[in-house]
Amino acid sequence: MTATPPSPPVTWTRGEMLAVAASRFVRDGDIAVIGLGIPQVSALLAKRTHAPSARLLLEIGVFEPDPVEPAMGIADPVIWRDARAFGGMLDVLGYMLHGGRVTLGMLGALQVDPGGSINTSLVRAADGTVRRFNGSGGGNDIASHAARTVVVIRHDPRRLAAQLEFLTSPGATVRGRPRAAFGLPGTGTAAIVTDRAVIEVRAGGALLAAVHPGEDPAAVLADTNLPLSLSPDGVATTSQPTGQELRLIRDELDSGSWYTK
Amino acid sequence: MGRLVSLTEAAGVIGDGDHLSLTGFAITRNSVALVHELVRARRRGLTVSQVIGGMETDLLVAGGCVDRLIYSGGSLDRFGSLNAVNAAALTGRLHLTEYSSLALLLRFHAGALGLPFAVTTSMLGSDLLPPLIDGGDVRTGTDPFTGQPVLFLATLRPDVAVVHADVADADGNCIVSGPTWSIRDTAFAARRVIVVAEALAETGSLPPDAVVVPAAIVDTVSIVPHAAHPTAVYGRYNFDREHLEFYMASTRRGEAGYADYLDRFVYGTADHAGYLELVRSAA
Repeated sequence: MTATPPSPPVTWTRGEMLAVAASRFVRDGDIAVIGLGIPQVSALLAKRTHAPSARLLLEIGVFEPDPVEPAMGIADPVIWRDARAFGGMLDVLGYMLHGGRVTLGMLGALQVDPGGSINTSLVRAADGTVRRFNGSGGGNDIASHAARTVVVIRHDPRRLAAQLEFLTSPGATVRGRPRAAFGLPGTGTAAIVTDRAVIEVRAGGALLAAVHPGEDPAAVLADTNLPLSLSPDGVATTSQPTGQELRLIRDELDSGSWYTK
Repeated sequence: MGRLVSLTEAAGVIGDGDHLSLTGFAITRNSVALVHELVRARRRGLTVSQVIGGMETDLLVAGGCVDRLIYSGGSLDRFGSLNAVNAAALTGRLHLTEYSSLALLLRFHAGALGLPFAVTTSMLGSDLLPPLIDGGDVRTGTDPFTGQPVLFLATLRPDVAVVHADVADADGNCIVSGPTWSIRDTAFAARRVIVVAEALAETGSLPPDAVVVPAAIVDTVSIVPHAAHPTAVYGRYNFDREHLEFYMASTRRGEAGYADYLDRFVYGTADHAGYLELVRSAA
């Protein structure tokens, strides 16, 4: 008689949960421009799982890359592997994005506010000293012109802010005013995905829509500085990463655990 | 055929106070060899414009060559931030003007086309906008057809642009493989174009459908193998991880860190071959 050995419990890191939860916001058929960092892993993961017809674009001028190992960023030729087309920034940020053809922007952030606006420029320490970061790059263009945007960020009260220290890229609302009032197209940020929760950005404000497995909504709220209400439908629990998702992250897309530790 | 020149002669095209456009992107295709020449020559007072800053930008600022940087941000990707740029901006030694990538690209594009200005709806509502309006190169306005808000962007025409090519012929036709980000728009906007190529091809031998920058806009061609080291050139060589990490560790130490790095790798070497030899022996 052979007994089936019990399968080992499936475990994952918070970074892996973040990449997986964000990847689920990519719809099959999306034309998506992806930013630096975890969005690279999330969007490629979606393409390899539930969104095979999504077309992923990089602002540097790359259409539909299919990398099999982690890249240091969008300027690392590793991430351009097996691309379907190369062009320039005018092709991706100009013709595709400003031209209104991009359905999804996926962006990392230093800070995000309840309207889904993003800071990638600078933060101020308590003593007033400024620390500068990477700036906009194409981030402002993506947040301004993609039909919808998903912000991917680590859950940290300093990062989930009531007010931004610098508003690099506009969200669904811009300091409380609807983005359309500024002449911006699209709906802007639809969701903020963290390594503990999914926050939906609605006209009335930010909603805690779901927490990841094992997270307590009250504890998540206590670690969030942006005003957040509980979803009237109740706070859902994100479904856990599948074996396939974890395998793709660990063996290929982030095999060095640079992004998903 | 007077276009084939040494890198030192090419650097001589760029004078003190000139407006120079760079066309590398983070850790890819940076004109490091040329920037080293400018640092060695102690060029001063440059205005630098570049869509995404990278290693070359940080080196040129660390070398004290730049007074003003017009860019849309930059980094060395996961290796880290442009520490020299950020530090010089915080002390006020460097005047920074920051756009979104597309907005700055459109300024070059308008320059290339000879248009009086470009129009965009990027940057509306953002904190990027107020300092740009104060600076005078961006104005708010309305679309004359729909009445919707738009931004007018002043045309940008640099004195000189540098293009890094995989291969060029002696006349200046350039092959740039892989994605080409801002290279074409920047080169066509510039009054003069300096080409630094990894290898020389016989004039007339390059496949015309692969030429990204045509000889018609090029002024000088210099052949310098591994000219982009430690950044990557698609299909030729990868970035030098160890050297980029060493550079980041140096610049994280602040002023003394850049000074040590420049003394050793730039002032301490006579030319790019000497620099590459030093990198090889130090590894």
